[in-house]
Parts: sequence; structure tokens; C-alpha cells
Amino acid sequence: MPRLFLALLPLVLLTLLVSQLNHALASWHVSLFVGGLLVVFTALRLDFDTGFAAVFLTGLLCDAAAPVRFGTHAFLFATAHTLIFSVRGRLPRDETLVSLFFALLANLGIFIALSLLLLARSPLPFGSWPRLLSNLLCSQVFLALVAPWFFALQARTFSLAGFELRNTSRRHT
Amino acid sequence: MLPIRFDQAKPFLTLGLALAAWLVLPVVVKSVLRVSFFEMQAPVDTAVSYTRDLQDFWALRNHSKNELIEAGRDLARLNASYELKVQENIELHRDLARLEALLRLPSFENYRAEPARVVRRDFSSWWQRLIIRKGSNSGLTVGAPVIFTGGVVGRVSEVHAYTAVVDLISSPEVRLAATLEGDTRPISYQGALSASFGPARGVVEFVPLDVFATPDHAKLLVTSGLGGVFPPGLIVGALTNVNPSPDGLFKTGEVQLDPRLAELTEVTVLVPLEPAETKPPQP
Repeated sequence: MPRLFLALLPLVLLTLLVSQLNHALASWHVSLFVGGLLVVFTALRLDFDTGFAAVFLTGLLCDAAAPVRFGTHAFLFATAHTLIFSVRGRLPRDETLVSLFFALLANLGIFIALSLLLLARSPLPFGSWPRLLSNLLCSQVFLALVAPWFFALQARTFSLAGFELRNTSRRHT
Repeated sequence: MLPIRFDQAKPFLTLGLALAAWLVLPVVVKSVLRVSFFEMQAPVDTAVSYTRDLQDFWALRNHSKNELIEAGRDLARLNASYELKVQENIELHRDLARLEALLRLPSFENYRAEPARVVRRDFSSWWQRLIIRKGSNSGLTVGAPVIFTGGVVGRVSEVHAYTAVVDLISSPEVRLAATLEGDTRPISYQGALSASFGPARGVVEFVPLDVFATPDHAKLLVTSGLGGVFPPGLIVGALTNVNPSPDGLFKTGEVQLDPRLAELTEVTVLVPLEPAETKPPQP
């Protein structure tokens, strides 16, 4: 339970920070999406159960504030987490660049999945693509800039609480 | 033959079990969870909103006395002109009430205006919403229309304890019946996601064939009052172009919305009054 709380804390913090940033960017009709960043560290560095529970709860937090079917973000995050977790054995997962690459990839995947799920209700589904592409581009650039800080924050949260990440991840894999 | 390893399938099995459990979870539980997760975030949003107000207050405190005196003088002028408008408004209301009584028309005074601060703007790639700092504590109801000085903002889609969510008029979730100013024929309006760095927009359907509009000769689109949500005559936007629809019976068009919609800090919610609260027309 303490590990789940520690995993959840930075995820909730990032979700709230990005929502405030989006509030500030609203006048330019630009929105940032960082779903991929929420799942990568937990998938690459934590045991499956803790990581899965943390991303699922973060997804529910996103769902509560969005006009989507409750559980949409949660299951998209959980699916991305599961996919990354299943390939992490073959990766140098302590490397920041590897984490960054998977964060960008996961963000792209979740963004496209959400777009396909939600654009059907728009009266101009094809007219929305320029906005989607520009938002995706801004999100990926933002994600690439903040990801190293966020990974360090998550690692530091665990080390401050006295949890060793390497031991944690090896125990269940 | 190598033994089958189940440990690698465990993550996918867990995901599948979680999905199955989620699908059979009763709707009531999901609704309670949703409300709980929203209410957990609400204090953070509200606290940030109050901090922003405090920031503005301290920024204003830094103005010099001369600037404040000038602002006070300008406000006094505005107040004087508004006093006149209030007098005119009272006279017009009296006339309206008299005519309604004479013609035995139903009264339109079915709303109470409830001003509210904007806590957070959420203009994502897929929806456009506002969170405002009033909720069921101020008697707000789901579906209540929200307006500002430039016209329609949207309608309340969720009401929580002390916050409420407003679906913006530019959001694809919002549809309403509108008319062109000076015309009575209804047109269907729906929000459409705007381009980044561009103004908000919407689309209209079922526009009569004799209507023409260009960006230089835009036509004002107002609410029709049909549907019972929005009172008639509120500004929706400007119809900037129309094209024949594929069936050739009507036209479709694009509506340019007020650019101030993206920078709103305060809105007014029109709370429908209970029948007991409405004033019956004077005989």
C-alpha cells in the first residue's frame, strides 16, 4: 500500500499540473496530453500490481474530469502499461532515453486511440485533424522536455521513502 | 518441448480480468466512483482559482493612487450610464408585464441569474468545458443555460457540491435550435472543435435555401427559444458562410463564435425557477 501511494503521488501531481497548464493555454486553443508519461515509469521500474493499480487509479481521475465513458482513460492507460511491462525484460529500462522513447510512443498510441473513440461525435470529424495534429505535436514536445524531470521525481519519491526500485522491480519479474 | 510459461501471460490475464470485472460492475458503483474522483480534484481547482484571485488582488494593489483615481472616475461615468439603462430597463419590464397581462401571454421571467467565477478551462482536442465555482450549494441544475456579455457560453452538464461543469457552445456535445436575427425559421446549431490558435466555431444545418452569408456579410445567429433550455434572442455567433447540403433541400454553414469565449473569467448561469418562484402575470 505505501508503494502504491508513492507511485500515485507524482502521477496525480502531474495530472493536476498539466490541467492548470491547459487552463493557461486555453486562450490559444492548445491543449497538452501526457497520458504516455503517466504509464512509462511505473511499467518499466515497478512491480506489475503496484504499477497497474497506480495507472488505473490515475486513469479514473482523468475520467472523472472528462466527458467520456467512465473507465476509458483507465483502461487505455492500463493497456499501455501492460504492453510496456511485457517487453521490459528485453530493455535497458534504467536508461532515461529508453523511458523517454516509450513515453512518446505510449502517448502517441493513447492519443490516437482516444481520438478514434471520441471524434465520431464531432460534426466535422475530418476538420478536427489539423487541431489534433497540432495538439499532438505540442504534447510530444512538452513530454520530451518534462519527461527526464518527471522520471527523476518519481525515482526520488521512492528513494526518499526508502524503497529500492531495482529490488522492487526484480521481485515480480 | 519447452514448458508453457504462464508468468508472461499474467499481465494480460490481469488486464482481461480487470476489464471483465469493470464491465459487470453496477452503474451505481461507477457513478459514485466518478463523483468521488471528481470531488477529490475539486478542492485543488478551487484553491488554485482563489490563489489566482489573490494574485490579481495583489497585482492591483501595486497600482499607483493616480491610476486608481482614474479608474474610479471611469467607473463613475460607467455607473451613471448604467443608471440610465436600469431606469429604461424597469420601464421596459413594466411595459412587457402590461402587454403580457393584456394578451394573456406566459411570462419569460423563468430564470434567476447566478454569476460564477471560472475555476478552470478545459479545451482539449476532443471537448471544450469550463469548471465554475458554484454548484448545488447555489441551486444550479443540470441543463441550465450559461451566458456572458457576448451571448451564450454553453450549458451546465454536471453539478457537484460547490463546482459545476459547463459544456461550452463550441463543444460537439452542445446542440441547440437557433434562428437568424429577424427570421423565425429554426436552424440546428452544433459546436465544432476549433483549430489551434484560431477562434472557436460551430456548424449549422437545415439553413433555408434563401439565406446567404459571407465573411464580409455575416448574419447574426441567436437562440430560438425552442427546446426550452435557452431563452430566445441570446447571441450564438455570426454565420459566415453557407453551402448547399448534399440533399439540396437545405444549406449547411459555419458559425464564428465570440473569441472571448476562450478567455472567460466570469459567467452567469440562468437557473430555472420553480413554478412557485415565478411571478404570475398581473391581471
